[in-house]
Amino acid sequence: MTPLTLHPHLTPDEVELWAQGLLGAARAMHLADCAECLVTAERERKLLRDLAQLPRFTPEYGFVDRVMAHVRVPTPSGDFSA
Amino acid sequence: MVEWAKDGNEPAFRELVRRYERPVFSLLYRMVRDRSLAEDLAQETFIKVLNGIRSYRPEFKFSSWIFKIANNAAIDHLRRRELDTLSLDGSPHAQTPEEMQATALQLGARQESALDAVVSRELGSQIEMAIARLRPEYRSCILLRHVEGHSYEEIAQMLDLPLGTVKTYIHRARNELRGYLEATRE
Repeated sequence: MTPLTLHPHLTPDEVELWAQGLLGAARAMHLADCAECLVTAERERKLLRDLAQLPRFTPEYGFVDRVMAHVRVPTPSGDFSA
Repeated sequence: MVEWAKDGNEPAFRELVRRYERPVFSLLYRMVRDRSLAEDLAQETFIKVLNGIRSYRPEFKFSSWIFKIANNAAIDHLRRRELDTLSLDGSPHAQTPEEMQATALQLGARQESALDAVVSRELGSQIEMAIARLRPEYRSCILLRHVEGHSYEEIAQMLDLPLGTVKTYIHRARNELRGYLEATRE
């Protein structure tokens, strides 16, 4: 077991980086020695994956036309057309 | 595309709506959990964005500008709804519990509509339910960060919050989400 003073627990920012595969190898090594951080990091990775996989929703058909009906398109002279 | 829109190119306006309608609508739908209302708020967002396109400053990311307006629309709506909900409890001038009860709005048993069924199908998963339990400020931060993929700095700019506050909100939101999800599994 590595002393914690040499390899302190991962911060929330580091856990997020690890979950995204962006944490440097030197800090990621801490997970090999610390079961507590490993559990936290794996839970975090699962949550981030679940969030990233959430679907996108689409508004009802004709949304663009409904928006455009209320938009004043500027002309090059700076006036607006309806 | 934004420059074309600024020059009055209508197809560019349409393309901007097409490009952002799904992410903006999804954010709003998850914030208010009502399809028709989310669509109204999305429409309001795009009308504001496109009618104000000439005031857009390019040092701000265009997507950040849209999400800022969308998020403000959602938060304003949720605050208004909170006030409406409080008023259901009865007149603020009532002096006794009996007066409170007498002035409270009586709501009948609500039948689940077809629209409720759509919401429950689309937003009924455990993770969606957990997101719905977050307070609105946490919810918008977590959606902007982990669903839409914006950086902490962009979110701070969008929500007019200090960077440290955004980080705190997101860390707390993730802790709460894990807590809700674990409680559901047990």
